[in-house]
Amino acid sequence: MKKILVLSLVILMTVIGMSVKITMAAGAVGKELEVLMNQIKAFNKIYPDIEVQLLPMPNSSTARHDLYVTYLGAMTSDPDILMIDVIWPAEFAPFVLDLTKDYDYFELDKFLPGTVKSGTVQGKIVAIPWFTDAGLLYYRKDLLKKYGYDVPQTWKELKTVAADIASKENINGMLFQLNRYEGLVCDVAEFVHSYGADFLDANGKVIIGDKDNHERLIKALTMLKSFIDDGVAPKGVLTYMEEETRRPFQNGESVFLRNWPYVWSLANDSKQSKIAGKIGVAPLPKGDIEGGRHSATLGGWMLAINAYSSPAEQEAAKKFIKFLTSYDQQLYKAINAGQNPTRKAVYSDPKLKEAAPFMVELYNVFINAEPRPITPVYTEVSDAIQRHIHDFLLGKKSVEKALNDLESELKMIIGQ
Amino acid sequence: MIAIFITAFFPLLKTFWDSFFSFGLRPGIPKRFIGFDNYIRLLNDTRFMTSLINTLIFTAISVSLEFLLGLITALILNADFALRGLVRAAILIPWAVPTSVSSQMWKWMYNDQYGIISQILYKLGFLAPGTPILSDKWSSMFAILAVDVWKTAPFMALLLLAGLQTIPSELYEAARIDGASGWKQFTKITLPILKPTIAVALIFRTLDALRVFDIFYIMNKAVETLAVYNRHILMDRAFTGAWFGYGSSISVVIFLLISIFAIVYIKSLNLRFD
Repeated sequence: MKKILVLSLVILMTVIGMSVKITMAAGAVGKELEVLMNQIKAFNKIYPDIEVQLLPMPNSSTARHDLYVTYLGAMTSDPDILMIDVIWPAEFAPFVLDLTKDYDYFELDKFLPGTVKSGTVQGKIVAIPWFTDAGLLYYRKDLLKKYGYDVPQTWKELKTVAADIASKENINGMLFQLNRYEGLVCDVAEFVHSYGADFLDANGKVIIGDKDNHERLIKALTMLKSFIDDGVAPKGVLTYMEEETRRPFQNGESVFLRNWPYVWSLANDSKQSKIAGKIGVAPLPKGDIEGGRHSATLGGWMLAINAYSSPAEQEAAKKFIKFLTSYDQQLYKAINAGQNPTRKAVYSDPKLKEAAPFMVELYNVFINAEPRPITPVYTEVSDAIQRHIHDFLLGKKSVEKALNDLESELKMIIGQ
Repeated sequence: MIAIFITAFFPLLKTFWDSFFSFGLRPGIPKRFIGFDNYIRLLNDTRFMTSLINTLIFTAISVSLEFLLGLITALILNADFALRGLVRAAILIPWAVPTSVSSQMWKWMYNDQYGIISQILYKLGFLAPGTPILSDKWSSMFAILAVDVWKTAPFMALLLLAGLQTIPSELYEAARIDGASGWKQFTKITLPILKPTIAVALIFRTLDALRVFDIFYIMNKAVETLAVYNRHILMDRAFTGAWFGYGSSISVVIFLLISIFAIVYIKSLNLRFD
């Protein structure tokens, strides 16, 4: 009896001695935090010796960025796991662990290629895709049916349909997120890509002035502005972010809405939405031009490991990230938090089809979602795009002037 | 003394020191001494100049409006009337609400679709229906000024009221007996005695206004003040290039600006701190 007691005490001591405590910076949008707490419980059944502590972060992506700058700039070892936006890996690369050798450990070949690309900086893997986002077109199924329209395929068609229904129903036609913030870059990138144009090429070179590209850029931006000028989108879109467009849409005050996947479950919740069950989701329209294509901006969040953490904490963090990005946990998160999986196989799971049919139906949108420029100076590039394009949309600058100003500023930032 | 040095002077001197260097927080960016280059660059930075002008405009208008309104309110509240205590407490509510909360609240009231202020302005014909108040530079500047005045005039009133209460009522009685008019009493008794209080209130508000951040940051990032621009340089660009010394130089400019205003006030109002 005594021997058993001693033995169990020894085992207990070793377990305590070996146990690791890691901290993770986590978001709390919608049900995110609740789902993550449940996931930690499940994780502890497999790894009782790893304790995961959560460090809740503000919901605003900018505010999180500021906190990370403070943590990493001060070289602190906490948090061990950073939840980072898809546009940050290049900027934070020097501060987080190089996971290139662990490519197989995380099974990255089974992930959506665009998301893996976002976490790859100069050939090195620095972040693991956790959940993904892509811009989508939400529409009022009931209204389109009532007036006999199909889901529009090009921006021009969308404008005509939206204007017609909006005037008959006396509501807004279309809603974008065009406040001067990161969301404007996402919405504008979708227009620009749908016309086959871009601000930077794949190597990060500024190509605004290239002749063919320049014309396409002008066409895309002029089309976007015409939505506001012609009253299809209210002028207020220039001050709206995600939530300011979701609310009017789910109150039945708009025919179309461009937004992220999170809107689906909220707008279909009859407790808070007036149009539950009347919503359709489709890929965003194509540019009205030869070679126009559907384009969605890639969003989403990744997990990276603090390079200043101890080796034991880094090992534990790897195990936890592998767990969170496993098939079962991604499925669980998709069903319960409405956040899109980054593993390809999850999209063909029947359980997901039942809970969030649009995720399965729009698989092509998610697999083809286009990343924003991958550059360590991304925040500066984004800031320049925001200012000059917002000025153009406000009517303070002509499209040529805005593009010229943007070109010279981007060239200065990138050092071209 | 040591505590003061560690908490106040060390960061200040460090910022001064940093502003003469070119460096960033990203590893691999060498720290180089560049003397006054950051300051010379500031002069050519149109974004910095615009934010400087925005800050000065905001400070001038907000402080004068708040002072006038605060003084009028304080004079009213100094009179005897029923429920005086309750009214005094009530006017402080706008000031007691955290700025981040009140900014968000006003932002909703300015919304073009459901905001009550927008709706009233549309109905009265001051704005074309659907015009977003917070998109245009000038309309958003005035919208933000309205929030700041609403928020801080009560605080100004409270400070001035405290000063008014120290004036003995015998002075007014004597003046009345001598036949001085209300205006004469105000200019000859109230203002001179209130002067130190006015100076303190003005210094407080001016220094606050010169480093205004939260209202502008939450309501509308399109109008940048010095503090908002400085956040952009120090936070958004911390890891992207050699911007940290540049950001420090903006901090120094804000510090110098505040010092100049403080000194001018103290000198012109003949204040003595002893």
